[in-house]
Parts: sequence; structure tokens; C-alpha cells
Amino acid sequence: MQFLDKSIQEIHDALKKKEISPKDLVEEAFERIEKSKNLNGYITLNKEEALKQAEALEQKDAGDNLLFGLPIAVKDNILTKGLRTTCASHILDNFIPIYDATIVEKIKANDMIIIGKTNMDEFAMGSSSRTSYFGAPKNPWNHNKISGGSSGGSATTIAARDVLFALGTDTGGSIRQPASYTGIVGMKPTYGRVSRYGIVAFASSLDQAGPMTRNVYENALLLNVIAGMDDKDLTSADKEQEDFTRKIGKDIKGMKIALPNYFRSDIVSEEIRKEVENTKKILESSGATVDYVDMKYLDKAVTLYQIIAMGEASSNLARFDGIRYGYTKENPKDIEDLYLETRKNGFGKEVKRRIMVGSYLLSGDNAKIYYNKALSIRDDMKKEFDRIFKEYDLIIGSTTTTTAYDLTDPMDDPSKSFMDDVLVIPVNMAGLPGLSLPIGFGKGHMPIGLHIIGNSFDEATIYQLAGFLEKKLNLNLDSRKGEENV
Amino acid sequence: MNNKLTKEEVLHVAHLARIKVGEEEIEKYQVELKQLLNDVDKIKEVDGYDEERMIAPWERDAVLRDDEPGEMLNPKEVLKNAPRHSGNYIAVPIVISEEA
Amino acid sequence: MSNYLPTIGIEVHCELKTKTKIFSNSINGYGQMANSLTNVVDLGYPGTLPTLNKEVINLAIKAALVLNCKIRRQMHFDRKNYFYPDNPKNYQITQAETPIGYDGYVEIEVNGKKKKIEIEEMHIEEDTCKSTHRGDKTLLDFNRAGVPLIEIVTKPCMESGEEAKLYLEKLRELLFYSDVSDCKMEEGSMRADANVSIRKQESDPFGTKAEIKNIGSISNVKLSIEKEIERQAQLYDEGKTFPPQTRRFDTKLNDTVLMRVKETGNDYRYFPEPDIPFVYITDEQIDKVKKTIPMLPDARREKYISLGISEVNAKKLVGHRSLSDYLNELLEEKIDFKTAGNLLLGDISAYLNKEEKEMKDTTLTKERFMDLVNKVSDNTLTSKNVKEILDKVMTSEKSIDEITKEAGIQNITDNSAIIEMIKKVMEANPESVTDYKAGKDRAIKYLMGQVMKESKGTLNPKMAMDVLKEELNK
Repeated sequence: MQFLDKSIQEIHDALKKKEISPKDLVEEAFERIEKSKNLNGYITLNKEEALKQAEALEQKDAGDNLLFGLPIAVKDNILTKGLRTTCASHILDNFIPIYDATIVEKIKANDMIIIGKTNMDEFAMGSSSRTSYFGAPKNPWNHNKISGGSSGGSATTIAARDVLFALGTDTGGSIRQPASYTGIVGMKPTYGRVSRYGIVAFASSLDQAGPMTRNVYENALLLNVIAGMDDKDLTSADKEQEDFTRKIGKDIKGMKIALPNYFRSDIVSEEIRKEVENTKKILESSGATVDYVDMKYLDKAVTLYQIIAMGEASSNLARFDGIRYGYTKENPKDIEDLYLETRKNGFGKEVKRRIMVGSYLLSGDNAKIYYNKALSIRDDMKKEFDRIFKEYDLIIGSTTTTTAYDLTDPMDDPSKSFMDDVLVIPVNMAGLPGLSLPIGFGKGHMPIGLHIIGNSFDEATIYQLAGFLEKKLNLNLDSRKGEENV
Repeated sequence: MNNKLTKEEVLHVAHLARIKVGEEEIEKYQVELKQLLNDVDKIKEVDGYDEERMIAPWERDAVLRDDEPGEMLNPKEVLKNAPRHSGNYIAVPIVISEEA
Repeated sequence: MSNYLPTIGIEVHCELKTKTKIFSNSINGYGQMANSLTNVVDLGYPGTLPTLNKEVINLAIKAALVLNCKIRRQMHFDRKNYFYPDNPKNYQITQAETPIGYDGYVEIEVNGKKKKIEIEEMHIEEDTCKSTHRGDKTLLDFNRAGVPLIEIVTKPCMESGEEAKLYLEKLRELLFYSDVSDCKMEEGSMRADANVSIRKQESDPFGTKAEIKNIGSISNVKLSIEKEIERQAQLYDEGKTFPPQTRRFDTKLNDTVLMRVKETGNDYRYFPEPDIPFVYITDEQIDKVKKTIPMLPDARREKYISLGISEVNAKKLVGHRSLSDYLNELLEEKIDFKTAGNLLLGDISAYLNKEEKEMKDTTLTKERFMDLVNKVSDNTLTSKNVKEILDKVMTSEKSIDEITKEAGIQNITDNSAIIEMIKKVMEANPESVTDYKAGKDRAIKYLMGQVMKESKGTLNPKMAMDVLKEELNK
């Protein structure tokens, strides 16, 4: 029986009727993970604990909790008590957290079962998960392609249908871009919607965790679980609990949608532009209006991102010094030697490059020239989004400029990983919610994603549009069948 | 546009970041770091912006915590992940004291 | 040595008296087992985030008020980035751009003249962990990591070690009396750094600065500044110059020693802390805090003097917080405050010291104390009597009358009885009486001694003296 291919409601009903148990689901998940092992989606599996937890759930009633007993994969920069958390870095490759991230507490409290920790770019720095200390995950649609990054492992395991739920984090597109490359649904919620407590900080003012799933409804269900204010995170927002699935299935007639010209400019490949235009037509024929709009500053987002993300990262990653946890240089000559060698050996190339540039950007007068100026322009950029949202319900564009590229493409261009995220970064800058939805396939049957951006704390309307399109397009998004098509 | 940092510049930022850069790596960093710095220099082209900053997309003001003690770690847990310790202390190689 | 004009600025770190740390809810405590007062936030664990203690903001507002600072209404925190093993995150959360207090002052009295020591700014930050050095290792105790601090920075406006000392004494008194901090320099809850430079005359630019770090006591602040002025003057006299530097005061050498020459501008890579949103301070909040400020030392001294207490005793009382607080409870009463002050500073202080007690550990209620004061001021009890009964007064619940009675004290307050005694003494010592009448003042002292002897100490000396004079002058 392959229960993990069924709909969430079917699985839930089967659990309620005791036709299956959480243990069956966990075992099935591990079978699938074993089968897709060569995709390298996981850094650490949690088999023993997961089975134990599943057994403990046998006695419990699922109630109306649709997520009861379901396996979930967690990106390896989210702290799990007692379960190794590496950030895909040598510097933490033996790190066993002594506390749970708030969102991990929440998924545990909702009786979901953590199946393992997913592969990623080291400290979430990268766009192809190739900076992982544990080697890159592969794209289930074509094993020679990247699955994107930094949440590449989470994208891989969902696209491979190992499990139905995964958590990712998104600092500059790290949920949405891999979701687009692997044909899954990935949501970066509004900054503050989800607690950051227990998520290893990369860039504090940009980081946000979110759900990665095979479809829109399940995505919203998982956001229901992880959203909410947290006393341990002063930047988490004080918002009423809401059901993010509530608008899914509703008609989109009269919806006003903006499509910024920058998002359909020639930085985007032709096949993707065509797919977006196609989507625009579907939306218009369904009663929505889609207007081309001009927006200032979108082309500056990568520059702002580089400054803010690298600057904050240089400070956030200073704590990895070989003193309180993590890898340390053996027999250091003195304290300086301890710092220098621990950080030289512990961090990979991309991370070191970004920390060094970040340190430079904050040093002396540079803080003013770069960092503070970037914060000012960032504020203007947010105002530009506000202007659009006065007139429109949503903004759309493509998630990426191309489909997933080859794992063997050169990595020697330090700017490349930033440019991969050129279309998704503005959303992090403004703190807005954004979702990537599969809308078709390009050359070699590689998935193409639509980027849907909502106003602050209006995830529900994003899900409404995404749900509508998903149904209308009715694509076959199972990579296991997809592969046979290649 | 210059496409290389000087050796000294590389060593300076490496020191700020406390990352050792080996002699064999310097040249690579001279080029790579400079490329990223050229990227961020594009910010200099932007003018006519408003000085007001967005430090982060905060939805609320800081909510202050009541001064009530919470759970603390047992010293054993403190030492659990620390590579060097002595008694209840976390240890590091001797640091020339800044304190009198 | 030629004459130079010294310029001195002082930076003080004070630990705030809160129950918990600034950015986490672990306990703010001193003298506990190493690493027993910490949590993952204090340790700078990956993924942790700061929360902000309300009481820290309140105490900082209070400090700003007593230091006459302006209070910022919208502020944020900043990160100060530097690698050091006592700095868990390798950045310290502080306030660089928006210190909570600014443009304040503290008034001191130098050689009878009042002087305002200007405070540039006062900000909130977190303490580092405590390191001790043993063998080839440095040991880290994170109990202190995250303890709330305020740092108070003066303008370079002091001109001598003495002024610095007076400033620090005043500062300590203010922060201690307003319950902002324990201000115990020996436990490190108050720490001072001094910036010292000298120049020939006021029109010259400031001289090269030396910073003396972490001086352990106020008297050593004064001494170290004086030594540093001397050292710099000697160098200038010899035509030498020196680089800006950090020094420390060596208590064994009684002199400052070089720690390091300053690098060209410390590169702390400050930037606004993204993990803590803006903090807003309202007028209501400030008013609320204002109401919690007790009477401050200057006001207390003034009040005591106005009530007839001597200047010396007024100062002494303020130097002894618990006595001063005790006395303050009685300010509205009609008692002889001079006697009250004398009793508190004399016999009662001696008793408390001997027994290692505080006022609150005794049975001396306000009512009983006032009774005692009245009995002493109306001569019912002599100071000798007070000494006799004090133990009982401080430990039993009985009234002063009862205690006096039980002690068998029956003082002679009847004039006729005194006159009788005096006449007896005069008859027995006619030559002394003659000497007195001949203008020999010393004779009266002898006669007085004899009178007291005769009465076995049951006479009130002042009363007896008055009657003796009267009788002699008849």
C-alpha cells in the first residue's frame, strides 16, 4: 500500500479508521527515502526516534488534526533537540542541539513526526545546495540537475514524494527558488509570521521559515501549524490565528493582479516568459485583471541583498568560534590560532567569502556608505510595494529566470548564486509573503514556477490564487512519473 | 574598474572575520572578494532615496518581558557541546588578561 | 616638573539590580556556582534570540532621571562586533546610535565650590562572561554573561584625580540610593575607566590620551589618575611623546602599567540590531518611574541640617543608607532630631556593628525609638543609661519605661536633691570654691567630677553643671 500518494484527507480517514497507523506512514516514508537515497536529500535521518514517536501515537486519537501522524522533513538549519543539526557545515557536523526551535515544538505538539534533517547550502548560503559539506542534493526530475537552494534537500524529498511535508527557510528565495526548480509548492510567509527562534540565523532581518509541499492545500495546512507569535522572538508578529486554507477554492473573479515589467524583462528565459504570459491569459479569462506595472528599485534588490545579507551574516556567524560548541582546532597555539584555524577549516568557501565581504561592508565608514544606505533604499522599496498593493491584490511574475541547471555547471563565479535569486529577493527585502507554484515545464521537462507575491500578512489570498491555478492547470507533478517522460 | 584587491586588503578583512587565509589562497580571494565588492558598489549609483531606514520589517514595537526568572541549564548541559572544559568552566587557551 | 592642565573623562559600567538578565530570563546573581545561572541565550547558542527585560528599561530611565539626563523616546539597539572569549556571540548588544540618556550632569563640590560634571550619554548594554586565568587556560563562567549594564560616559571635563573621585562618590551615592545598582566596586557591579590627557594651557589642543581600564576602587581611580598625570608630564618635560594607549592600575606597584597601544580606531563594525524592534518610552512611563525614586542624598543632607542635625552627622547618616532610611520615616514627627541623629550614629550604630545586624533585625520600632529620643532629650535618661539598656531596647518588645525600671535606673531630676548634693561637695572642698571665685576655671571641672561621683552617675551632667554654676555664683 502506498499511502503517501493518497490525498491528505484519505490518509487521515484511514488513520481514523485504524486501517493504518502512524508507524505504517513512517515506515513507508523510510522505504521511499531509501529508494531515493542517491538524491542525497538528507543529512541525518531520525529513524529510531521517528518510529518510537509513531508508536507513542498509536494510542492517541487523530481528532480532526489532518496532520496527525504524518512524517515531516526539517531543513538542517532548524534546531531539533537531541537530533544532529549541521547547517550542512563542517563546523557543526557533530552538533547536537539542547533545545528545540519553536516551530519544531509546534510540529511535535501537532503530532507530526520528524523523519530527518534535509540537505542545504552551507548555512543557507547558495542557490543550488552545492555548497553543502555533505554534497549537493539532486533534482528528482533529472538527476544531473540541481534542486536549487538553499532548501534543496527539502525540495528534493518533496518532489521525490518521500514525504508530504517539509520545512525550509528563505532568506533570499531559498524556499521558493528550489520549489520552482523541483515542481513543488513553497511559501515564504510574511516576515514575523513564523518564529525564528531556534533557526540558525543567516540574515536576521530577512530569514523566514516556511512550508514546502506537493500541493497548495497541504502547504496552507502546514503554515497553520507553524505560524504565530512567539515570546522568544521579538520580531514575530502579533496576529490573530487564522486558517490559511480558508480562501482556497474560492473564485478569483474581480481579483486585481500586477505583473511588474522587470519580472518579464529579458533577464527571464523565453520559455518561462511564455509560461507566465499563458498564466496571465488563464487568469484574465477567469475574470481577474492582470496589469503590467513599472516598479522602482526591483533591479537594485540583489545589490541591497548582498550588502544586508552578507553584513548581518558576518555578525551572526561570529559565534562559531570553537569555544562553546561545534568543530574546534585541536591543540591551538593560542586564542587567535583557535579562532583563525577553527573558522578556516570549519567553514566552506562560499561562507568564508560572504563573511569576509560582510565584515568589510560594516567596517569603518563602510557601514554608512553601504549598510545604512541599503537600509534606506530598502525602506523605499517597501514603500514601492505598498504603492502597488494599494491598487492590486497580488503581484505575479516567474520565480526564476531559468529552469534548474546542471549540477556540473561552474561554481567559480561568486555573483552567480545571487543572480539566481534576482526575482525572489525583493520579497525578502520588503518582508512580504511569496509563494512559488508549478505552472508548467520547460526544455527537458524541467518544472517552471509562478511567483505569487501578497501584501503583508495576506498569505490567504496568495493561497486562493495558487489553489485556483493549481486546479485549473491540473499538472502531473509527480517527478517519479515525470522522469519516465524524459 | 580594478579587478583585484591588494594582498593587504584581503588579509585585513580576513583578520576582521577571524578566518585564516593561507598564502596559496590569497590570490583567489583578491579576485573573488573584489568581484563581490564591485557588485555592491552598484549601490553608489542610487540617489534620490529617502534617508529613513528599514532595519528589519518589524510588525510591532519591542514587547518587554516581565523580570521573572525562567528555566536555566544545569552546568553539565552548558559543557555538553563545549570541546574544552575544566571543572564547571568552559576553557580556552590562556588569554592575556584585559582585566586588572 | 612643569605645570600642565589635566583633562579627565570617566566611563562607568554599573550592573543593574534586576532579578533576571537583560536579554534572557536566567537569574542575575553573584557568587553562585560557575555556569549555574545560564541558558542557551546567554551562551550564544545558534538560533537563540534576545528578549528584552522591562525592569532594565525602568532602571535605566531611573538612572537617567537621577543623573539629570534627557531621555530618548524612540531607541533601538546596536551590535558591537569583536572577537573575545568572554563575548559569547562575538558581538555585544549595546546602544551606539540611540543611548537612552544624554546631556546630563552630576553636581559635585570641589574646595567648597559647586561644579557640574557633564554626562555625555548613558546607554544600556549586556555584560560579558567572567574569565579567570589558571595555568595555560582561561576559564569562562557565563553567569555574568547578559547581566544588564548601564554605561555612563562623562565629557572630558574633570581636571584632577580629586574631582574624579568626588564624581564617582556622588555617582555611586545616586545610583545606590535610587536602587539602580548595588554599586559594589569590589564585586565588579560598578567599574570605572578613566581617560587622561594633559596639555600646557587651555588654548592648546588636547594632549594624547591614555585610558586606564577597570580600576578596582574609587581611591585607586584618584591615585591612578595622579600617577598617570605625573608620568605624562615627565615624558613631555623630557621632550618625549607617546602613542594613545590603554593602561591598567597595578595595585602592587601603585602605578599604571601599559596594556596595549591602541590600534588606529577600534573597528567594532556597529550596525543596528535587527533582532530587537524599536523601544518607545512614554511620558507616563517616565512619570511612573519618577515616583519610585526615594529622597536622594543631597536632599536628605539638606533636610537633616534643617532639622538641627550637624553637617558632619548629616553626611554620616547619608553614608549609612539603612539608618538614613530609618530616620526618613520620622521626618514628619516632632522629635529632637539632633538627639535622634546622635543616637543612631552613636550607640545604635555601635550595637548594629557589634551584632552584625540591620535596623530591620531589631525590635526598635519607630514608636519606641521616638520614646527613647524624647527621654534622652528631656534628660530623663543619661547617655550612660542608654548604654546600659540598649541591648534590651534592641531585642525586647517592652516599653522604654519598663526596661528602665527593670534596670533599676532612677535618675535624680529633682532640683532640691541636686542642690543638696552640690552643697555637700562645696562644703567638703572650700579651696576649690575659692579658686573658682578667683577666676580659676579649672576648679569647676574638679567640683563637677566630685558631684557626679557623689551621685553615682544618676545625675544628668548638663543639669548638674547648670545648678553647680548657679550655686557657685550665689
